[in-house]
Amino acid sequence: MIELIGIHKSFGEKVILDGVDLSAKEGEIHFVIGTSGAGKSVLLKHIVGLLRPDRGQVLVDGVDVTHFTEKQFYPIRKKCALVLQHATLFDSMTCEENVSLPLLKHTDLSEKAALARARSLLEEVGMADYATALPVRLGDGMRKSVAVARALALEPEYMLFDEPTTSLDPLSARRVDALIAELAEKRGVGCIVVSHDLPSIFGIAHRVTMLYKGKVLASGTQEDLLGSTDPVVGQFIHGKPEGPLETT
Amino acid sequence: MRELLRFFGDFLQGLGGLGVVLATTFDGTLRGKVDGRQLRDSLLRLGVGSIPVIVATALFVGGIMVVQSAPLITRFGAHGLLGWGAGFGILREVGPVLTGLMISGRAGSNNTAELGTLTVTEQVDGLRAIAVDPGPYLVAPRVLAIVLTTVLGTLLSMAVALLGAALSGFGLLGVHPVTFWNGLVSGLIGPEDVLHGALKALIFGIIIGATSTSFGLHARGGAPGVGRAVNQSVVLSALMIFVFDALVSFAAEALAP
Repeated sequence: MIELIGIHKSFGEKVILDGVDLSAKEGEIHFVIGTSGAGKSVLLKHIVGLLRPDRGQVLVDGVDVTHFTEKQFYPIRKKCALVLQHATLFDSMTCEENVSLPLLKHTDLSEKAALARARSLLEEVGMADYATALPVRLGDGMRKSVAVARALALEPEYMLFDEPTTSLDPLSARRVDALIAELAEKRGVGCIVVSHDLPSIFGIAHRVTMLYKGKVLASGTQEDLLGSTDPVVGQFIHGKPEGPLETT
Repeated sequence: MRELLRFFGDFLQGLGGLGVVLATTFDGTLRGKVDGRQLRDSLLRLGVGSIPVIVATALFVGGIMVVQSAPLITRFGAHGLLGWGAGFGILREVGPVLTGLMISGRAGSNNTAELGTLTVTEQVDGLRAIAVDPGPYLVAPRVLAIVLTTVLGTLLSMAVALLGAALSGFGLLGVHPVTFWNGLVSGLIGPEDVLHGALKALIFGIIIGATSTSFGLHARGGAPGVGRAVNQSVVLSALMIFVFDALVSFAAEALAP
């Protein structure tokens, strides 16, 4: 189980997270929603130590990793795979080389075996035809799918997705949703998904937490959010341009 | 004013990162953890790719040395000293400094731009997210490749510049290559002059490698930030090359028996 307890984070004088609590257990899909700049991605990066909290605790399977060193975080990062918003593939490597990189670095597989495994992972995400293509030649959606394949390479127990469907066409977005749902249901992978894609949220989320002004404004099931009487929550989930919601 | 402060802020931050980059490279090299494939790719891209510009520069530099000394050589009929004069300047001074500047301009700026782009597009974070240490994977191979390129490139540029000087001497002054060679090996110049140049090249390589890598990794603010990082890296490298060139020259003079 991943647990974030009372996370505070500021950049300069700007408070981004002001005592946020969040958790995700195996096989669960937990969406973190909120407007752009609400601190969703910042929260995600705390789990794998790409950012450190000013205050608060991060627990992974009961282990307090808050003050882990960069090197101590490596096993945590193998266990909790993070797919960043911009795919972050290496432009100088082909898709299969990108996917095989964590295998070559963290397993005893030969280069040939790692590439074969990479091709099989690319097939899982529907990218087998682009195994030898360079990422720069692919569209955003395709790059994200390759990044998901790379994240799956080390068979993580948890997956953290930062806006996985942003800038994707609806068909590709639903394909990514289906992949996340399959990871949770068939492999028992716990997923934390940062998103403001309403069809994704109300399609596959088991739990939803909304961040607003650095705090948790609402948290619960899809039904809980749909039934919320909070005007800010209502405005966000119904995508209304007018209302009390302030964007940063 | 704010721009100026930001420039110096970035500048100092980059400077502070030099030590970290050097320590990372040293540590990775000593523990044999440098990524072999990245090192090979860096050597090909930054090293082999720099050969044409090194050769072209060196050839002309050798020629220019002769052109500049031609009036004196002709006036005093000191054709036998052409090899010594050109050799002394090329081996101890012009070879390492010009090669350092060329490698800084070509390989160093390329390195900063590439690492800066990797940084601002979160590819470095992406690497950390899959538990790959950027030190042995990105930093050490590039610094080592630039150091090796600078040292080997300097030795190559010395040889090519001497060839250029010999050819120019023959063409412009009628100094036979054998006379040029005799002047070179007459005893006034020795292996210590080559070592002097190679030591400078080693220092310049460390400067270029560490500076270009550090500024690249600290680039912030999208494409303009990468541009700023490249600019600062090249300026600082050039400045440090001249400063350390003077320091090594003074130290060598002071220590000479």
